[in-house]
Amino acid sequence: MLLFLYYSMSTSTHTSVPRQIYPLARLNPYQGNWTIKVRVTSKGHMRHYNNTRGEGCVFSVELTDDDGTQIQAIMFNAAARKFFELFDMGKVYYISGGYLKRANKQYNRVDNDYEMTLNENSQVEEAVNEPIIIPTLTFSFVPIDQLGPYVQQKELIDVIGVVQHVSSTMSIRRKADNESVPKRDITIADDTMKSMIVSLWGPLATGIGSKLLDMFDASPIVAIKSLRVSDFGGLTLSTITKTIIEINPNSHESQKLKTWYASEGSVATFESVGSTFRPGHTNDAPSMYSDRVGLEYITNNPSLGESTPVYYTTRACMSFIKDDQAMYYRTCKTCNKKLTVNVGSAYSFLICRKTQTDPNFRYVVSAKFSDASGEAWMSLFADEAETIIGCSAADLDIMKSKPDGSAYQTQLKKAKWVPHVFRVMVALRAYNNDRRQRITVKIVSLVDYAGESKYLLNEISSTQS
Amino acid sequence: MDTSSPAVLVNGDLLRGYVGQRVRTVIQVVRPEANGLTGRSTDEKQIVVKGQMPAPLTTFVEVIGVADSAQSIHAEIVTNFGDSFDTSNFNQLCQLANGEYRHLFI
Repeated sequence: MLLFLYYSMSTSTHTSVPRQIYPLARLNPYQGNWTIKVRVTSKGHMRHYNNTRGEGCVFSVELTDDDGTQIQAIMFNAAARKFFELFDMGKVYYISGGYLKRANKQYNRVDNDYEMTLNENSQVEEAVNEPIIIPTLTFSFVPIDQLGPYVQQKELIDVIGVVQHVSSTMSIRRKADNESVPKRDITIADDTMKSMIVSLWGPLATGIGSKLLDMFDASPIVAIKSLRVSDFGGLTLSTITKTIIEINPNSHESQKLKTWYASEGSVATFESVGSTFRPGHTNDAPSMYSDRVGLEYITNNPSLGESTPVYYTTRACMSFIKDDQAMYYRTCKTCNKKLTVNVGSAYSFLICRKTQTDPNFRYVVSAKFSDASGEAWMSLFADEAETIIGCSAADLDIMKSKPDGSAYQTQLKKAKWVPHVFRVMVALRAYNNDRRQRITVKIVSLVDYAGESKYLLNEISSTQS
Repeated sequence: MDTSSPAVLVNGDLLRGYVGQRVRTVIQVVRPEANGLTGRSTDEKQIVVKGQMPAPLTTFVEVIGVADSAQSIHAEIVTNFGDSFDTSNFNQLCQLANGEYRHLFI
């Protein structure tokens, strides 16, 4: 009888071999065989791409183990197709045979030095006896009027608001791989009396986005988790693959908004944050310290001023000026239009057909400027050029026409390496088939050293905190 | 450039830490004395300077010399710094130059 029991015990079914479960914190690329037991705490949607290596699809999941450590797991192509239906939010899985490498922090916001890739040979098995716990979404909403500090930061934010407008779907061609991606813009407003455009990308545009279009006249409330804040077009909120949108959630904040909207929000007018929040866009009454950047910031960002020109202040010195450029052009004294050079010493022109021997001179200068961060070519006209060069265009012409060009050279030399504060306009100009960055000086001021020192001291202390 | 005996940027408070050493500071002239002057540092402390003064004196002077005590400097070089000077900027500079960025100065 004992033998019989023993026999039956040894053949009792174990569907799974007892595994050694590794904590996520111990995983590294040099670890050999491991098995982890993790819950899917976030699942992105499938993204299709088309690059130089061909077509493909990719999705990622965020995995959390018992200790609370998290790691992102990515799957491409065959592996993506194999595991997409298998992974469900809130379920627990045994996973082995994945490949670890250093996390690409540009695309991976999960707090782990490593990220995992699963291929077709990886093993993913659902742990059937584990309870399914879908993590309740915790939001920390940023009011629309406080989005400013988050621009271009890595931190993803959450927002909640009443839908004011839903656009139709647009098809945007992704520059990286020429793929067309659907996009829909929704406008949301909150009780800060500001409104904001949120761009929904991919399945969010076509799925939940079209749902919002259908119900938009009921002024639904949307709570959106994990949005990226960028400075494209001033200030934009964009969804990413792991963004989650909830319509009319049952939360306290949602109720508060609903009440506010019913009482006053529905008849209010909202100030759009996206179009008015432009850190460099206003050119009226700037202070010498507003929108301060180094020259390198401008030259390193070739897409600045893509849609409309942007304005910055910068402190720099002129470092190089070509003495053989045409620094000025002649204009008619009466109508101020450009002259064309004529025979002898008389000038005539296109527009008002007068002939003059004594035209006005207007500066058009292109020079290189330098500061501690780098250097940039900038254009100066009229009064600004006169301030930098130190004399009027007419006087410079007199110096240049002298047989002994030393006065001309000296004037240009004296103009170099004198620090000034500039208000510049950055825009993109078409050159042949390209669009090139062009920096134009709009205002020149002398350096107020006490003020500059205060500004620098402020900058130093803000980096220290 | 002779870097054999660098002068530490100090204000009134920091002076006591460098007695016997070469220091430099900017002070506001309170009262010229027979053999120097009495001044007020950028952090409102009294500093006595002994040595040869430029004539005439402007409101602010820079003093480079050896610290005699926690409140006096034996001046080697005194330079007129004009009648307007931002004392709070200079004071913050002294703190930075003696704090975490001192390796950039001495």
